[in-house]
Amino acid sequence: MYTCGIDVGSVSTEVVILDNKDNKIVSYVIALTGSDSKNAAKAAFESSLIKAGLKDSEIKSIVATGYGRINIPFADKNITEISCHARGAVSSFPDLKTVIDIGGQDSKVIKLEGGNPIDFLMNDKCAAGTGRFLEVMAKALEIDLEEFTPIFNKTSDKVDITSTCTVFAESEIVSLIGHGIDKNKIIKGLIYSIADRITTMVERVGLEEPVCMTGGVAKNLGVVRALEEKLEVRLNIPDEPQITGALGAAYLAQSLL
Amino acid sequence: MGIKDRLKTGIQKNLNQRYIKRLLGIMSVKPVLYAYGKTFPSASDRYLNIFTIESLKKAYSGSNRPVGYGSLFVPFEMFYALGITPFLPEVMAGFTAGLGLAPQTLKEASSNWYSQDLCTFHRSASGAVELDLFPRPDYIITSNLACDAAQKSFYMHSLKYDIEKNFYLIDVPYRYSEESLRYLTSQIKNICTDICSKTGKKLDISMFEEAIKLSNELRKLAIEVGSLRKTLVNYPPSFNGLNFIMPFHGLAGTKEAVILYKEIYKDLKKYLDKQHKEGPDRNKPAKRILWLHLKPYYRNEIFDILYRENCRVVFEEINHVYWPELDYKKPFESLAKKMLSNFLAGSIDNRIDITLKAARDYKADGTILFSHWGCRQSNGGARIIKDSLKKLNIPTLVLDGDCVDQSNSSQGQVKTRLQGFIEILNS
Repeated sequence: MYTCGIDVGSVSTEVVILDNKDNKIVSYVIALTGSDSKNAAKAAFESSLIKAGLKDSEIKSIVATGYGRINIPFADKNITEISCHARGAVSSFPDLKTVIDIGGQDSKVIKLEGGNPIDFLMNDKCAAGTGRFLEVMAKALEIDLEEFTPIFNKTSDKVDITSTCTVFAESEIVSLIGHGIDKNKIIKGLIYSIADRITTMVERVGLEEPVCMTGGVAKNLGVVRALEEKLEVRLNIPDEPQITGALGAAYLAQSLL
Repeated sequence: MGIKDRLKTGIQKNLNQRYIKRLLGIMSVKPVLYAYGKTFPSASDRYLNIFTIESLKKAYSGSNRPVGYGSLFVPFEMFYALGITPFLPEVMAGFTAGLGLAPQTLKEASSNWYSQDLCTFHRSASGAVELDLFPRPDYIITSNLACDAAQKSFYMHSLKYDIEKNFYLIDVPYRYSEESLRYLTSQIKNICTDICSKTGKKLDISMFEEAIKLSNELRKLAIEVGSLRKTLVNYPPSFNGLNFIMPFHGLAGTKEAVILYKEIYKDLKKYLDKQHKEGPDRNKPAKRILWLHLKPYYRNEIFDILYRENCRVVFEEINHVYWPELDYKKPFESLAKKMLSNFLAGSIDNRIDITLKAARDYKADGTILFSHWGCRQSNGGARIIKDSLKKLNIPTLVLDGDCVDQSNSSQGQVKTRLQGFIEILNS
């Protein structure tokens, strides 16, 4: 028997199919959401079935999460990304007390007790402190986002980025480049500015170890290192941090059976 | 299109005071008012809306002068005793949101240099004043109680209408003491005396006595309504305690407020009796929510989501009766006592005390503090309130948003935070 979790985010859609026998991930898919979240979810679900070699009738329950969760007609239930990320992270690290999730346009900190969320905080309406912020800056710097981590590691100095607003930060970067500032120092400064913003959120909720980081930005080891330094903790990262919400949704779908 | 939507569209298309005045004139004709009242499912909603229309009609008509602007926490009993027709710009700002006019009033305020950081109740009201949508005031009475923005924006209104000499700011001391009571009493008495000297009327103590007796009746009924709500779960679907802020303050001292609260009591009693008869739903007991601060007044999904997810707002802090029974023989001192007893005056500890008491009395499973943009007096205490409730094992959602400006928060984000909180309550 299988369950499925679908996390429809603003940037990407993730699908996880879970085998209830042994809680093993049978397949997962990460796809771009694009402008039509409903069809993106359907296409990603179908791809995950093909990858797993399963028919949709073999999926016994589906939970949708993420901002597009209410728009998935074939899901049995929708549950917020807060509960799903918490559940997904706990499946990798059972004793977790704090989850930091940084997604495309959303960042959140979840406090856990006995594996269940007891409090949370999400970023406010702007894109500061999210993956989108890094994407926009990478574009402004004309540097591939994947280059950020090696640059972070090899650069010792940083330039402070004072603007939190993504649009203003972009102008600030253009101005810094215009002043001949080393791009590597700007990148290091950008990474620290995200870490600063997330650190404030973590402190508001209250930091307790063990801590896990999830979401696409957890793949950026520069951000991970900067956060570890600011928070003075070691961050646990799941093997594929981007599918944590979908994985949690697949686990929560088990309770519908 | 229903009557409410027709009203909304009409005002949106004809955004001027003459149209509003004409509309209120038509609306307050008995058969029309009766038909309008019938669109509301419960008697309390019906009376609330009828009394609101009637009170607005008086303020706009021009024949019920003098008209006085009052900020929310001034004792409106003094308006009625002095024969002043009250008008509440902050409440009207809520209406601008409900009628979909806030984008225009806020834009007008911005064009007139009102800061984007200013609370949108005051910003929208200021925009409406600039657009000349409100009736011209003869007097303005405000206070420094809780809200910093009111004293400043109301003063701006006095400049706009060139009535600076008729602007009164009641200075409410930080702490309750005999000395502060004397100080406040003398201010209220002086304001009343000064207004009488301007209107040429004699200060009629019997009018104060009458207003205070009616205010006491409202107080008694509000306490009784609160008692009913301690066990009530199955509310009338349209009931929202956050709608009663206007009568609770603005109609205090009138027969209308007494009639309205009797109707609220009857409406809720009917549901409580039904609940006793049927017994509570033991399979899926509703989650009991304590609501702090106000709500968005534009169309939003918050309360539909709560209802759908089997959560009931069992009490709102704005409905807390914080003042003692007033002594009608000492009207000025009584009104001073009422102001000084406000839990938003003075230390945050006062607000925490009533929040914790309400959480216990109403057996709250969770608390939602709606953190209205720009409202420093409420938002400043969010953390300490959340921490205090945590000691009672009651989780709190600090829901960032805006009561008036829809563009200042994302409905999707509000929904996710709300649903995430409900999932925590249900886990």
